[in-house]
Amino acid sequence: MDFWQVLIGGIMPYMAVITLVLGLGYKIIYWLKAPVNLHWELFPYPRTLGEQAGELLTEVFTLRSLYIHNRNLWLPSLVMHYGIYLVVFWLLFLVAGLSLAVYLGVTGGSLVAAGSLLLFLSRFINPELRRISGPVEYLNLVFLFLLAVAGLSSGVFLDFAFRTYIISLLVLKPNLSLPGNYLLFLLLFWLFMLYIPFTRMAHFAVKYFTYHKVKWGEVE
Amino acid sequence: MRKVFDDYRVLSDETLRPDEPRVEKFLQAMKKSLQQRDNWTFWLPYTLSLDTCMKCGTCAEVCPVYLASGKKDIYHPVYRSDMLRKVYKRYFTLPGRLFPGLVGAEDLTEEKLNAMAENVYRCTICRRCAYVCPVAIDNGVIVREARKIFDAIDIAPDELKKNGTQKQIKFGNATGTPANAFLDMIEFLEEEIEDTKGYKVKIPVDKEGAEYLLMHNAGDYLAFAETVMGAAEVMDAAGVDWTLNSPAKGVNDAVNYGVFYSDAEFTTIVKAHVETAKKLGIKTLVVGECGHAFEALKYLMLRLIPPEERPFEVKSILELEDEWIREGRIKVDPEKNPEPVTYHDSCKLGRLGGMYEEPRRILKACCKDFRELTPNREMSICCGGGSGFAIMEKGDFRKFRMETYGKLKAEQLKASGASIIALACSNCKGQFREIINYYQLPVRFAGVSELVANALVR
Repeated sequence: MDFWQVLIGGIMPYMAVITLVLGLGYKIIYWLKAPVNLHWELFPYPRTLGEQAGELLTEVFTLRSLYIHNRNLWLPSLVMHYGIYLVVFWLLFLVAGLSLAVYLGVTGGSLVAAGSLLLFLSRFINPELRRISGPVEYLNLVFLFLLAVAGLSSGVFLDFAFRTYIISLLVLKPNLSLPGNYLLFLLLFWLFMLYIPFTRMAHFAVKYFTYHKVKWGEVE
Repeated sequence: MRKVFDDYRVLSDETLRPDEPRVEKFLQAMKKSLQQRDNWTFWLPYTLSLDTCMKCGTCAEVCPVYLASGKKDIYHPVYRSDMLRKVYKRYFTLPGRLFPGLVGAEDLTEEKLNAMAENVYRCTICRRCAYVCPVAIDNGVIVREARKIFDAIDIAPDELKKNGTQKQIKFGNATGTPANAFLDMIEFLEEEIEDTKGYKVKIPVDKEGAEYLLMHNAGDYLAFAETVMGAAEVMDAAGVDWTLNSPAKGVNDAVNYGVFYSDAEFTTIVKAHVETAKKLGIKTLVVGECGHAFEALKYLMLRLIPPEERPFEVKSILELEDEWIREGRIKVDPEKNPEPVTYHDSCKLGRLGGMYEEPRRILKACCKDFRELTPNREMSICCGGGSGFAIMEKGDFRKFRMETYGKLKAEQLKASGASIIALACSNCKGQFREIINYYQLPVRFAGVSELVANALVR
């Protein structure tokens, strides 16, 4: 059996998932156990769990802060984030066996590619943003762009039969008869998962703490 | 003083010691600041803010210094935070040690240290940036932590430390006013009220067991006496059992400059405040018109001093005035303040203290023509007096305050058309006094209590 197929198709998925879960889990537990800081809220802030959930969801799904205060980045950022949400739903729908998955995958991949490219260009063209950007800011966007393009060009997002592979991973019996052109996408996909816990890509998890524990304080 | 960052210098050569080697000490102090046990007070917001900035630049879109400076790179909030963040990455993270160029990690040099020490005193920690950050990353907490690290290696502005917290502990107030001089001042204020208003007001001092201990910023007695007199008139009109305190009975200055640069100094002062209140056996500690003192005593103190060790309530004078006007305990007539009045939300009272409606209700009740500054409330623009900047003059720093924050406030003030700017914070008053002079504005500033006293129907 081809070495790369075994590595990328059969070994890396488990390494990636385990690293993501353990790495992120460790960080989250570490933050949860952190000493409670002095009150450092910013007013006004939502007081009840319902209000807080509402505000967080509004921020997640509309990127309201960018819309109000940094409009130039809002649309590219919204496009990229919606792309990521759709790719996550692509995987979930695929596992659930819903044929809608392929539409989510293609749309999600396209949005991630477009959004990351636009954000890259914005960062590069806007002198203010360029000055505060280091190589890693560009690298993150290139990573996402390549991942999306690899997915789109390989046709994996359109391939409902890819479900068989995902299911085989879930039942711990990896089906390694993968089309060769899926390997680059999968390699990038697993690397991305490995990358998340150690970088600011984990900001989706950090937000809970910066909002709930600091900016909003704790629900009284 | 030689140039180490921009055209200004907050830190004198004696304090900064720009030619001495300090990098090693700084790194040791920074290492400590990153330990949960050693820096529990702000560890979580500090480390999350160091690690997770997405570099979207949203903070810069609302930063008064950056905007007013014509968007100078060096005043970009991320540029400032990155001065510390680059050091953090280089010395305290694995990716920074392995791939410094990739992740933006940099060695700390003495020159970079000098520049950082100055730049952390170009931000008032107004936290307008933190309010709008999509990830709630807080440049303000990074700036404050950097100041703490500098203080740990004995670099802090004289105005805040030598002539601030340390003087306050020694004399009971940062103005260095002894008890007898304080009592003379109170007598003078009583006479002044009688001369100007035509009625007598007795100002109680050091009364034990009073319902309310009113503690002003001690500087107010010297610089903003109208606020002190106004508050005394209001307390008197309300007929409540109240008192001021002299330095003979502990700390008689509400300020706590530790809020701006040091947890250790902050804790020492706040404990002295608590001891003073306990010694006098009062029921409510009323914070006069001082923004950071309100933040310190109303919020920052809560997780530092256990509830059983602080057997008193903390309120702002604004809360009491609002309450008493609404319940009819004091009567006011808005016709007595006929000029157009506007209100500046102090960052510490507003964004950091949640005190938005009280001053507005008070001013609407006491002034015939109240109008808002735009923007206001949580998006209020810092006046530039915060963080103790209002008392920093040397190194041409006044010009910095006027040409950045001050410029924006002057424009806002002009646009409002008001002839009185109502203020509830001493630092804001100090800064607006300068803004009005510098920009020759046909406006006067007034304490909220002064306007309430002026509207009193006795």
